[in-house]
Amino acid sequence: MAEILGETSALCPVCLRTIKASKIAEDDKVFIVKECPDHGSWKVQIWSGTEHYKYLYEFAAVQKPPQKFFVKEKKECPQDCGLCNEHKQQTCLNVVEVTNLCNLNCPICFATANGCGYRYHPTIDEIKKMFQTILDHVKSPRVVQLSGGEPTVRDDLPEIIKAAKDMGIEHIEVNTNALRISEDMDYLKALADAGMDSFYFQFDGTDDKIYEQTRGRPMFDVKKKAIENCGIVGVGVTLVVTVSPNINLDHVGKIIEFAALNVPTVKGVHFQPITYFGRYPKEPEDKDRVTLPDLAKEIERQTMGMLKADNFLPTSCSNVHCDMKSLSIVMDDGSLFPLTTMALGPPTKTDDIADKTRTEVSKFWRFIEDSMDGPSDAGDSSWRSFVSRAKTHYLTVSAMAFQDVWTGETERWERCCIHMVTPDGRLIPFCLFNCTATDGTTMYRRKAFCR
Amino acid sequence: MEIIISDEVKAGIEGKALKVDEIKALINGAEASKDKITNGSKFLAKKKLGDVTVYADYSEEGGALKVNSVYAHKMILQDIVMDTADTEWTYVKTGAKIRKGHTNLSFMGATRSAPSLVDPASGESWLEEYLAAKTIAVAEMLFSQKRA
Repeated sequence: MAEILGETSALCPVCLRTIKASKIAEDDKVFIVKECPDHGSWKVQIWSGTEHYKYLYEFAAVQKPPQKFFVKEKKECPQDCGLCNEHKQQTCLNVVEVTNLCNLNCPICFATANGCGYRYHPTIDEIKKMFQTILDHVKSPRVVQLSGGEPTVRDDLPEIIKAAKDMGIEHIEVNTNALRISEDMDYLKALADAGMDSFYFQFDGTDDKIYEQTRGRPMFDVKKKAIENCGIVGVGVTLVVTVSPNINLDHVGKIIEFAALNVPTVKGVHFQPITYFGRYPKEPEDKDRVTLPDLAKEIERQTMGMLKADNFLPTSCSNVHCDMKSLSIVMDDGSLFPLTTMALGPPTKTDDIADKTRTEVSKFWRFIEDSMDGPSDAGDSSWRSFVSRAKTHYLTVSAMAFQDVWTGETERWERCCIHMVTPDGRLIPFCLFNCTATDGTTMYRRKAFCR
Repeated sequence: MEIIISDEVKAGIEGKALKVDEIKALINGAEASKDKITNGSKFLAKKKLGDVTVYADYSEEGGALKVNSVYAHKMILQDIVMDTADTEWTYVKTGAKIRKGHTNLSFMGATRSAPSLVDPASGESWLEEYLAAKTIAVAEMLFSQKRA
């Protein structure tokens, strides 16, 4: 028998109007159920494990609303987002798209790059205006991800990065397919010299059969070469994996193994269960999706329990059902041992979760740092060298469940901390910005970028 | 001889899940057997208590023994790997000069070396506090978590 877990609002996948929705538990799964008066009803699975879903609410932080709001007169969430005074969480990651052009033409693309029917390629001055929006609305330290399209099609990307740094943006990461990074060392060095802090590498597996499905061409050698180049230049990389149950869910263990072998250049693996917005092959059924708990179980199974489902915690920065994260030390035999565990329970003071997490992690590293005091030791076989390695050889394995027009709901949108920056000065939750109706109409993307 | 242990040192002992009486027994045993090293101003004695090697750093003050600090490690002291130079320390039991060296330490199946004070004649090694409380403690923590 179904149990109602809560009432929320959502979008009609056909007309994008706001409609009422319920979250229900049935057969140990959580579903979102909604009905549009004109276009029918939908029941879509969003979680596996009802008790786990409920328990995670105990990890919810008291969120801090944004400093300023673009939208003064709110009509109906999420129709006029920008943000408004009903939004519950500040921005932690600002996504700035610098082009919609791309040097690939992937069958799956949230941005529908090279196929949306318009060109978006802002000038540096227009991009600076978006940086100014961030400086005006988001408190320090500001983290910006330059995205696209493919940002590295721009020869002036180093100038864009330098402009951001000169304006006071503290951290810049570039979201890339790594193609240019694999073949153009001068360009990579120019990005690093301009102050880029890290890369977000699209990385779908360690087998070209996967890339042929997701990217339309073999890419594994490209990724390996790009990681090697980043190691030479000293830029850290997070491997970002779009996970599909039909393509690469059975490959997540191998991806983690590959990542562990490539620390310290590779700092983390970030899994993103496939979300159906932008360009995708067909309207999804539940079997075409993977929930965060199912992904965690697969990671446990495929890593032979080295990384367990219980090692993943919600960051509590956004909604507790949006993400999960683990941190492990990579041992010299390539194995992981996790430092995070659900066994620790929810934080006792949830209103300072971000500070608490940062403090605990920094105390741990400080402890390791201090342990290196004293007279020097000899040889790689010493305990000192082992501890020294732990300082650099760590790996985060995390995941984020983006929401599309079928799975999205207001409870999560209004707690989102990952925001797209628009040329007209808005900050819009990433998922909402990219929500696409069944006929390809986007919720915000086209309106924001097509001029 | 009376053994004086300050509240701060007592708290440190209890924080390591040890008992004050165990430390007193360690020191009394070292005094009786002379199984301790000295640098002229203080003594260092060690004893295996269960899985833990416990050290007492103490001095003679006004006819009593004052405990300066207590520390411990779970790693098991193994062979001396090398000895490189004389130190200011002497092994009270034999009068031998204690040397600076390296000793293998094993823990949960792994063996690696660490700097130590050594007496090659007897094969005895002592870890200094800076190492036991920091590098070795971190390594023990990392290995324990891995195996958990």
